[in-house]
Amino acid sequence: MMRPVVLVVEDEPLVRLFASDMIEEAGFEVLQAADATDAIVTLEDRLDVRVVFTDVDMPGGIDGIMLAICIRERWPAIQIIITSGRPWPEGTDLPEDMVFFSKPYRQDRVLETVRRMAA
Amino acid sequence: MAVNAGITDVGARHRAKALADLMVLDTPDEQAFDDLVFIAAKACDVPIALITLLDVDRQWFKAKYGLDVQETDIEHSVCRIEIDRGDMLEITDLTADRRTNCNPLVTGAQHFRAYAGAPLVLRSGAVVGRLCVIDTEPRPEGLSELERAMLRALARLASENLELRRTARVSNRLTELQAALVEIGEAIRGSGDAGQMASATAAIVGRVLTADRAGLGSVDDAIETIDIKTDWTAPGILSIAGRHRLDEYVSLREPLVYGDPLVVADALTDERAFSNLSIAMRIGVRALVDMPVREHGRTIALFFVHSAQPRPWLAEEVAFLRSATDRLEAGVARHRSDEQQRIVNGEIAHRLKNMLTMVQAIASQTLRSASDRESVYAFERRLMALSAAHDALLQNSWAQADLKSIATTVVEAIGFTDRVKMDGPPVALGARAALSFSLIVHELLTNACKYGSLTGDVGDVALTWEIRTDDGDDRLMIKWRERGGPPVTPPTRRGFGSKLISIGLAGTGGVDLRYDPGGFAADLQAPMRHLAKG
Repeated sequence: MMRPVVLVVEDEPLVRLFASDMIEEAGFEVLQAADATDAIVTLEDRLDVRVVFTDVDMPGGIDGIMLAICIRERWPAIQIIITSGRPWPEGTDLPEDMVFFSKPYRQDRVLETVRRMAA
Repeated sequence: MAVNAGITDVGARHRAKALADLMVLDTPDEQAFDDLVFIAAKACDVPIALITLLDVDRQWFKAKYGLDVQETDIEHSVCRIEIDRGDMLEITDLTADRRTNCNPLVTGAQHFRAYAGAPLVLRSGAVVGRLCVIDTEPRPEGLSELERAMLRALARLASENLELRRTARVSNRLTELQAALVEIGEAIRGSGDAGQMASATAAIVGRVLTADRAGLGSVDDAIETIDIKTDWTAPGILSIAGRHRLDEYVSLREPLVYGDPLVVADALTDERAFSNLSIAMRIGVRALVDMPVREHGRTIALFFVHSAQPRPWLAEEVAFLRSATDRLEAGVARHRSDEQQRIVNGEIAHRLKNMLTMVQAIASQTLRSASDRESVYAFERRLMALSAAHDALLQNSWAQADLKSIATTVVEAIGFTDRVKMDGPPVALGARAALSFSLIVHELLTNACKYGSLTGDVGDVALTWEIRTDDGDDRLMIKWRERGGPPVTPPTRRGFGSKLISIGLAGTGGVDLRYDPGGFAADLQAPMRHLAKG
């Protein structure tokens, strides 16, 4: 059976590796991107991505929140998880259907959400 | 010309300034002055008595008895003759004196024939006018010695009154200005950002100085342009918000460069004010004060006040503007530094949490092959507890954190919010105590999940705290009570978790653990003075 595909977007290589391993070990196929532009190129190429797990602070001008909004526009079927070392910005609502995890995050909780979204 | 004998330009200028300072020209009648002219007329037995003030181009009567004219052209003034001598002037027959025989007041219906005037001399020495008596018949014999003495005395009273009147007005004005400064201070404290502070200050300054426009503009490094975000304007007055070149706005950059205020009473007669008068007229400015805002010896902004009409600016008003500008600047600077501090704190917190995530990643990778996944998760949860304490500390600029919010975040991270009941007063913990407390709560909670009251589906935990005062020493007492769990047996070995707990809140113990059969209990206590410090 095909494993559901999750795209991990994170500029810090070590944290990206950690997140990828965590999700892969839970039985998913993982694609990696180091920034938002990279992520969009991947998404244009792979139409089977079910969940995007993205950091907020990334170089290159487009942050994770912008990326999430862009994905919601272009690929409405893709589920989105956002994570950041900063608290969610005050006064702004988390877009509907998205889940936010403050860093550091509990692996079991993240995995639980990924499983639910990919199901 | 002969009629000008005794009048000099220096005297006229000195007089104009002294008169402007008295703030008396064009004011309504006042009983005190009316009484003086009435007494003067009766004392000297004449039909007319006047208090005459000599302005640049007119004579204006502060009080008049027997004459129904408010002012006349300065050319028709008898009072101004020999005014700079500062002495009594007496002309017994105005038709016979060549300085007055062509004067329309003499040749016309007013029929002035004899004149005597005592000078109005201020304490500064400035001569601003005369108290005079006028007869419509010639008085060849002049005033008697007594009449002359009475006229001098009344003139001294009039001068004294002019100065007292000014003092009273200035003192009222000072009270108003003081009240406005207090109001400005409150407005600045109540403002959320620099723009709001400037707008609120401009509105109060504009109102209290009855100006037409007021505002703050930032000045560029070269002091060449001024950038005005918003300005306050009186109804019907055009805003000048926007960027302007300073040399077209004000020709005298020098005072601004050196930090002195530029005070212009009338742009039409003050050549410093505008290199280009048409611009001044277009934006409707006849009088203005520009107050520089300084930072590190450099002018960084200007607080300006404009008036569409010429007006003298009291020294007290200029000093008020200086204070208002200083308060505004201090408020803006404080706001800026708070904002920077907040950003720096946020940045530190962010990096710290990224660092914790890296540690989590390294630990996870290092222990990948470890057969005991539970240890990895235990480690991860301790990291979460620390992170929760940091979150709570960040809320308060890293200075202190509320005990309850730390406990809540830790419990929430493990996931037993509904089974841990908390109760206690607000307690502020310093950074170190906050971190210790977060780890202790985490360990207690972990143990409760593994061996204690949270193992099954029914047990719960009560976490309560209070501050007890003992010999003037405040002690924080924390109670952890478990109930409804399986029978309790003391542990056979002491793990890292137990060691963390036994370190205590202040790092010096104060921990009592009891394995009562009915439920595990922990008491933690420490003096508040050890806990409140960072």
